[in-house]
Amino acid sequence: MNMISVRSASFSYDGVNVFHDINFDLEQGGILCLFGPNGCGKTTLLDNILGHLEPEEGSIIIDGKELGRYSHREIARKIAYVPQVHERTFPYRVIDIVVMGRTPYLSPYSSPGREDYMIAENALEMAGITQLKDRLYTRLSGGETQLVILARALAQNAPIIIMDEPASHLDFRHELLLLETVAGLVEKNNLSILVSTHSPNHAFYFENRGLPVRVAMMAERRIIFMGTPGDVITEEKMKRVFNINTKVFTGNGAENSKMKFIVPVGAANRGDSGEE
Amino acid sequence: MKFKRIILALALVFAPFACIVLSAFLGRYPLSPVEIFHAIVNRLSGVAPDVGTNIVWEIRLPRAILGSMVGASLAVSGAALQGLFRNPLVSSGMLGVSAGAGFGAALAIVLFHNTFMIYLFAFLFGILAVALSYMIGRIYDTAPVIMLVLGGVIVSSIFSALLSLIKYIADPYVELPSIVFWLMGSLSSASYKSILISSIPVFIGLAGLMLMRWRINVLSMGDREARSMGLNINLDRAVVIICTTLATAGAVCVSGIIGWVGLVIPHMGRIIAGNDNRILIPVSMSLGACFLVIIDNLGRIITGGEIPLSILTAIIGGPFFVYLLKKTKGGGW
Repeated sequence: MNMISVRSASFSYDGVNVFHDINFDLEQGGILCLFGPNGCGKTTLLDNILGHLEPEEGSIIIDGKELGRYSHREIARKIAYVPQVHERTFPYRVIDIVVMGRTPYLSPYSSPGREDYMIAENALEMAGITQLKDRLYTRLSGGETQLVILARALAQNAPIIIMDEPASHLDFRHELLLLETVAGLVEKNNLSILVSTHSPNHAFYFENRGLPVRVAMMAERRIIFMGTPGDVITEEKMKRVFNINTKVFTGNGAENSKMKFIVPVGAANRGDSGEE
Repeated sequence: MKFKRIILALALVFAPFACIVLSAFLGRYPLSPVEIFHAIVNRLSGVAPDVGTNIVWEIRLPRAILGSMVGASLAVSGAALQGLFRNPLVSSGMLGVSAGAGFGAALAIVLFHNTFMIYLFAFLFGILAVALSYMIGRIYDTAPVIMLVLGGVIVSSIFSALLSLIKYIADPYVELPSIVFWLMGSLSSASYKSILISSIPVFIGLAGLMLMRWRINVLSMGDREARSMGLNINLDRAVVIICTTLATAGAVCVSGIIGWVGLVIPHMGRIIAGNDNRILIPVSMSLGACFLVIIDNLGRIITGGEIPLSILTAIIGGPFFVYLLKKTKGGGW
C-alpha cells in the first residue's frame, strides 16, 4: 500500500523551475532516501509533500487521497515532520515540547490532557530519551534536541515521517542513535519514512539492516536515478552527479552479514562543481 | 503537584483583587481605615454618600479597577506577541498600536478637547496602525514574521513623526502639555464610564488570548513546524494579533502610553512560572494587573502631585527585574 505517491510533479519559484517530472511511491513500512547535491530542490520537494507549497503541475496522493483535499489538521495526522535544525527559542520543558505533537488531535481552543501526556511520554521512550523529560530543552545538546523533535513527531502518531537532513548537525553517536531509532520505527511500527540526506551511507545503513529502502537521486532538477542503494549509489553515478571519485566497499558485519559502505576518494577535476 | 496548581490559580485570581481593595485605603485625602470601612459599607447598604464614600467609590476604586485592566492587557499582549514572534524582546507595542494610539489621542486633543473623542481616536488609530503593519507583512509572504516586524517598525516611525508634527503645531500652553501627559500615561481620568468603554475590547482580547494560549506555544516553534503540527498558521497568527491589538488599544486609549509593562511583566512571569504559555498568559495577566495598581498607588502617594505612570513603571520595575534575574540566575535562558 502506497502512503505517498507523487506523479509528474513540478514546481517553480517566481517562474524559475525548481524541479519537474518527479515521480515516486513510498509504501507503508518503507524508507525513501532523497539524495542529491546542495540546491537540487530536495527541501522544496519535501515542502510540496508537506503541503507548505503547492506543485505547479502533477499530483501528490497521501494515503489514497489527494493532498489538496486534506485540512491542516488532517494532514498533520498523516505526516509528521523533523526539520534539519530546530531553532530553540523559549526554555520549554522537554515533555511540553513533545506533547505539542498532539496538536492535530486537539479541538481548536483546548490544551493537551492527561492522555496526550501519556502518549508524549511513550514517544520519549520510543526515542530513548525518557531521562530528559523534565529538562529545559534550551539546555540540551544539538543531538539531544534532535531526538526531542523526533519524539515530538512520534507523538503526532502519523504513519509517515518526513525528515529533512535530520542528522546533518549531529555527532557520530547521535547520528547513529537517530538512524537506529528510525530503523526501529520502520521495523516495529511499520512507519513510512521519507528522508533527505547528504550522506549516502545512511541509505546503506538501512540496506545493511535489511530494511526496504530505496534511493531517489536528485540532480538536474529531477530524479535521475531511482532504486536500491546498491543500484543507485555506485562509483560511476556518484561521479556523474557529484563529480567526485568514490569507492564502494562490501565487508562482513556481525554474524557474517554483508555490509556495504562508500568512501570518498577525491574530487574529480576541481574547480568544476559537479553536474551543473 | 495538583494541589500546588490550585494554590497558584487561587493566588492568581485573588492577588489583583487584594491590590484593588488595598488601593481603597491609599491616597492623599486623609481617611482612617475605619472611615474607609464605613464608606464601603455605606455604599453597599445604600446610605446617603458622604465625602469619604465618594472618594472611595468614585475615585479610588474605579482607578484601581481600570489600572488592573490596563496592566493585565499590556502584560498579556506582550507575552503573546513574544511567543508569536519567537522573540523575548518584543513588547505589546511591537506592531505600532502604541504609536498609532499616541497619534490618535494627540489629534483628538488638538481637534476636539473632548475626553470621549480622545478615547475613540486613540483606539481607532491604534487599530489602524496594526492593520497597516499587517498589510505590509503580507506584501512578501515567504518570511511573514520578519515582514510583520518590519511593518511594525515602519508604521510606528510614521506615526511617531505625525505625532511630532501635531506637537509642533499644537497650542503650547494648553494642548501640548495635555499631549505630553497623555504620552506618559495616567489613570487620572478613570471612571466607571471609562471602565465600561475599555472593558469591551479588553475582555474580548484577553478571552481570545486565553483560548489561544496553547496555540501560541505551538506557533513559537516557527512557521514550518507549527504548520506541520496541524495549525492554520495564517489564521491563528491573525487571531493572536487581533486579540492583542484589541486588548492593548482598549487599555491604552483610556490610560495613555504606559511603557515597560508589556515588555518586562511577561519576563517576570517567565522567571516565576516558566515559559509555557498555558501558565504564562494567566500569570502575566495577574502580575500585570497587580503591578500597575501598585505603581499607580505609589504615583499618587509619593509626592503631592501625581507622577506619570511610565516614569514609575521603569524606575521601580527596572531594579526589581534585575533583582529577580539575579535571584533566579537568568531563569533558564
